Amino acid sequence: MLALDIRGVNKKYQAFQLKDVSFQLEKGYIMGFIGANGAGKTTTIKSILNMVHIDSGEVRIMGKNMAEHEIDLKQEIGCAFGGIDFYTRSKVKTLTDVIKKFYTKWDDTTYRHYLRRFKLDENKKIAELSTGMKVKYGLALALSHGAKLLILDEPTSGLDPVARDDLLDVFQELVSDGEVSILFSTHITSDLEKCADFITFIENGQIVNSAEKNEFVESYRLLHGNESQLRQVKERLISYKVNSFGFTGLIHSTDYVPSSDIKATTPSLEEIMIYFAKKEGANV
Amino acid sequence: MYNLVKKDLKLGVSPIFLVMPLLTGALMLIPAWIYVLVPLYFCWITVPNMFAGFKAQNDLLFTTMMPVTKRDMVKARVSVVVLLELLHIGIAMIFGIFTFLLYPDMIYYFFAPTLGFWGVCLAMFGIFNLVFIPMYYKTAYNYGKATFASIAAAMLFAGIAQWVGISNSNVADVFTGSRMDDMALQASILVAGIAIFAAFTAIAYRVGFNRFQKVEAQ
Repeated sequence: MLALDIRGVNKKYQAFQLKDVSFQLEKGYIMGFIGANGAGKTTTIKSILNMVHIDSGEVRIMGKNMAEHEIDLKQEIGCAFGGIDFYTRSKVKTLTDVIKKFYTKWDDTTYRHYLRRFKLDENKKIAELSTGMKVKYGLALALSHGAKLLILDEPTSGLDPVARDDLLDVFQELVSDGEVSILFSTHITSDLEKCADFITFIENGQIVNSAEKNEFVESYRLLHGNESQLRQVKERLISYKVNSFGFTGLIHSTDYVPSSDIKATTPSLEEIMIYFAKKEGANV
Repeated sequence: MYNLVKKDLKLGVSPIFLVMPLLTGALMLIPAWIYVLVPLYFCWITVPNMFAGFKAQNDLLFTTMMPVTKRDMVKARVSVVVLLELLHIGIAMIFGIFTFLLYPDMIYYFFAPTLGFWGVCLAMFGIFNLVFIPMYYKTAYNYGKATFASIAAAMLFAGIAQWVGISNSNVADVFTGSRMDDMALQASILVAGIAIFAAFTAIAYRVGFNRFQKVEAQ
């Protein structure tokens, strides 16, 4: 079953547009949504949550159309926007008391469990929580109202490595029973190498690729060679960098013809992002 | 909708704004003052501060994330404004009774706190809502222009009403003169004020909701 099914979403602004955004997330998996700053991650997430009005396309969550069943579906979605705080001078307890009234499946026992699990103090004010604790509080709220899909925009941004690692462990634990699915956007690709099952890559408002993680990285090759070799493959490269030793360039695996002279390696997610960004930059 | 009203009262509206009507209402005890200024304090102080709080705390995004309709979001916010307006008027009315008891022989130049006067105040709040709510819901977070325009409209109405109340002898008779004790007349002005307040607020809600439907949560 698909937890999230986005098809042909278009949204045009004056200086930016989402173009035919489509990708699917299977229930019980973690999908990392990567892209550079301004690539369209947050706009896509807001389109999924019906916070912005899409020009065309369809968003289906748990098989239901989001535009038609927004209120029902929001009972089953937990979302968090990294770096945006709400009512920071209120205590955790006060905010929870307000929020829980909106959810029909709110479970206090589950909430208490996650407060203990995440070591959250209910009497602290939101402003007193660390960035990592705020994300965990958001997760505790989402899981207490029985959210089956977590949509998290940059949840790991601003966290130190220890807090990030801890949070990624929590993500993996949450999907382990196959009921909860997570879509989280990030530009910190090392997070995804650790815990994502699927990767969706957006660049300049368009989905470049959406696939299972290994399949995703295997669909590209990073070539290293000298200047004369660059001339042989230049036209087929997504983009390349020239240095004193020769060149390094990214190519689609399907465009790569193995040759003994050019060294090919599997790129990291970060390298894929960087070379695609370089391509966009070259086109401007 | 009820949960959204509770949310605003628990998180968004500082307790001081619930106590404020007691302080502004006490101004009614100043003998023969310009009493139309008393409800205006709500427009001058409570509204900009309260809406600045909503903006600063990212209330629009916070509320949009929850399973609530846009219609309920507008309905709840308008209800909170109306609730506070009625609190201001209600408490000021009680102080107004004491004004009459404390100064029974007072000669009024400006409006006396008769029932009819409260009808005028409610009409003024109706005008305030009619300008403020539709303008605010163009963005649902920017409140500056809406506050300025709605306060200007309410003050203009108050100024004209008070000027007519002084310069026109028939109107002066009703609000400061011999017909102050004509309860049927006073009650009918109050009812007319309530009707204007209700009608203008209902229109404001409808226009506000229509505009809010086009708003994208930022």
